[in-house]
Amino acid sequence: MNFISKKNLTAWLDKMGEMANLVAPKMVEDVLLYKKVENSSEIVWDYILPVQSIKEVFFPPTERLLTIHKNGDGVKLAENLHKDQTLVFGLRPCDARGMLALDALFLETDPVDSYYAARRKNTTLIGLSCKEMGDTCFCTSVGGGPQDTTGMDVMLTEVDGGYLVEALTEKGTGLLGGLKLEDKAVEKPAPPSGEIIPLPEGDAWPESFKSPFWANLSERCLSCRICAYVCPTCRCFDVRDEPLPGSNGGDDYERIRCWDSCAGEVYRRIAGGHNPREAKGERLRNRFLCKFYYYAEQYGPTACSGCGRCIQSCPVNIDITEVLGAVAEATHDAK
Amino acid sequence: MDVTKTLQDLACDLLREGKVSTVIGYEVGPRGRTRPVFIYDPEEVSRLVWNQNATHNLTTYLHHKLQKPEDRVAVVVKPCDSRAINVLLSDNKITREQVYVIGMACEGIQEGAGFGRANGGGLQARCQTCTERTPVVYDTLIGDVPEVKGVSDVGPYEKELERLEGLTPAERMEFWLSQFDRCIRCYACRQACPMCDCPTCLYERDDSLWIGMGTGVNEKRTFHLGRAFHLAGRCIGCDECERVCPMDIPIGLLNRKIAKEIQEMFKFQAGIAPVPSPITTILSGEEVGS
Repeated sequence: MNFISKKNLTAWLDKMGEMANLVAPKMVEDVLLYKKVENSSEIVWDYILPVQSIKEVFFPPTERLLTIHKNGDGVKLAENLHKDQTLVFGLRPCDARGMLALDALFLETDPVDSYYAARRKNTTLIGLSCKEMGDTCFCTSVGGGPQDTTGMDVMLTEVDGGYLVEALTEKGTGLLGGLKLEDKAVEKPAPPSGEIIPLPEGDAWPESFKSPFWANLSERCLSCRICAYVCPTCRCFDVRDEPLPGSNGGDDYERIRCWDSCAGEVYRRIAGGHNPREAKGERLRNRFLCKFYYYAEQYGPTACSGCGRCIQSCPVNIDITEVLGAVAEATHDAK
Repeated sequence: MDVTKTLQDLACDLLREGKVSTVIGYEVGPRGRTRPVFIYDPEEVSRLVWNQNATHNLTTYLHHKLQKPEDRVAVVVKPCDSRAINVLLSDNKITREQVYVIGMACEGIQEGAGFGRANGGGLQARCQTCTERTPVVYDTLIGDVPEVKGVSDVGPYEKELERLEGLTPAERMEFWLSQFDRCIRCYACRQACPMCDCPTCLYERDDSLWIGMGTGVNEKRTFHLGRAFHLAGRCIGCDECERVCPMDIPIGLLNRKIAKEIQEMFKFQAGIAPVPSPITTILSGEEVGS
């Protein structure tokens, strides 16, 4: 298989970093995040998962969509499309799969989201196989795996002295064009394995809708938004027009969209103050039914790649694997 | 008798006798993480535990559970958590009759508690200088009261505060902005806080002109500093805000700085007694407005 030494890889990444934004796992104080790095020395190589997913590269927490300028009686709108080239290095398989779930909505369903599309088109993904599965990882239960290449342009797998290299797309082949690879008689190591959690089948999800399980589970839920914001597939947003700082007399505005979460109490509030998901249990139920039922019905893929970040970060231990188990068991019992 | 068993027996009695409808306590989940639990049925009390990972401040659930004057719940508290009960009482959020306080004698909570990272990493920063072993308010005290020995006056927070106090205002601003910069506005700090119980948060109003919706550093600074000031004289230093923060922002440090100033200026520590802090403004009559 194609092989590259770590030394050659870092030299190449440094060169690539001069031509594009290089985004890679990086320590920001004590927190591991996918962030822009100035050079390869900032990259963290041994890690399970960054605290946040890669989605912010394509779907930023706050994104300016337009600027609005009041011009006499009229308005002038200017669209803000992202043009920079980005190279993501060290992407985990669960994050790439998570992006495919986002693609189903933003790219493959009309109307195409031009903001997401622009960032997606200008980004190349270099994946890094996982050497181990973390405590809260369950990708193998939802169709992924520690060496899954789905969604990657290039996949690297660590072996003695360097990395095995697979170019998986045209973009990936193009990217590796100028890179000298060795042909080495090394096999890919066996992927680490994890416990397989049985998933709910058939109509288990809609049948769970009226179950008291949700209200019970939600009692300890804080209704914060950690789970949605660390999730590679949660993609809800809110849009608002806000005045630009220093816009004297209020002639300049921007239209921004920002992450939102169905866990928040105000998320579903509608005109007149009514809230169809006022209870915490209704909101938490929505989170899981969206992931495994509504989203799949509407857009195809389920909206969970098994990264386990929501489990890792939840302050009160709401555990998606427990939910999967409980809903699966309920249907099993009903049969 | 074993502390957990004593706790379970008490919970069982309270529920059987109808003194409370709910016991808010701790259980250990399948992943081995200690987490909050709500017990309604005396048959279920075996789920309750007490251990050194019982980090959550369960008083944060009280206002939700005590919507009507006749509602009665029991809540398990550590000494620090118990001070939150006094603040909630002084804020008129709850009445003393509504809460049966199960006080735990406390030896401190382990670092990493609640996230399954507590592997002999020692006590949490807040516990390293804590000398409170019994709650300031309780109906029943459970556990042998441990001795206070070898507790240092200077822990991680005190050291960091001293360092920050030695910086210039510009350097301090730079420090805090770099911390706030990581904020993702998930509001976990606010949601975990027993004192943050405004019906609609100022920073989340649809018509808010105080702060925009974005995640720019200005919005984040306004949120964090504003929240800290709203908690001035009310924060009891449980540091749940900091524990729950997925971005490791030292929110507790900010609250501690304000608590320290209030202690120095007014000789007041939040929650020692159920009285409003000297810096709380109480509006009455026409001052309340619409």
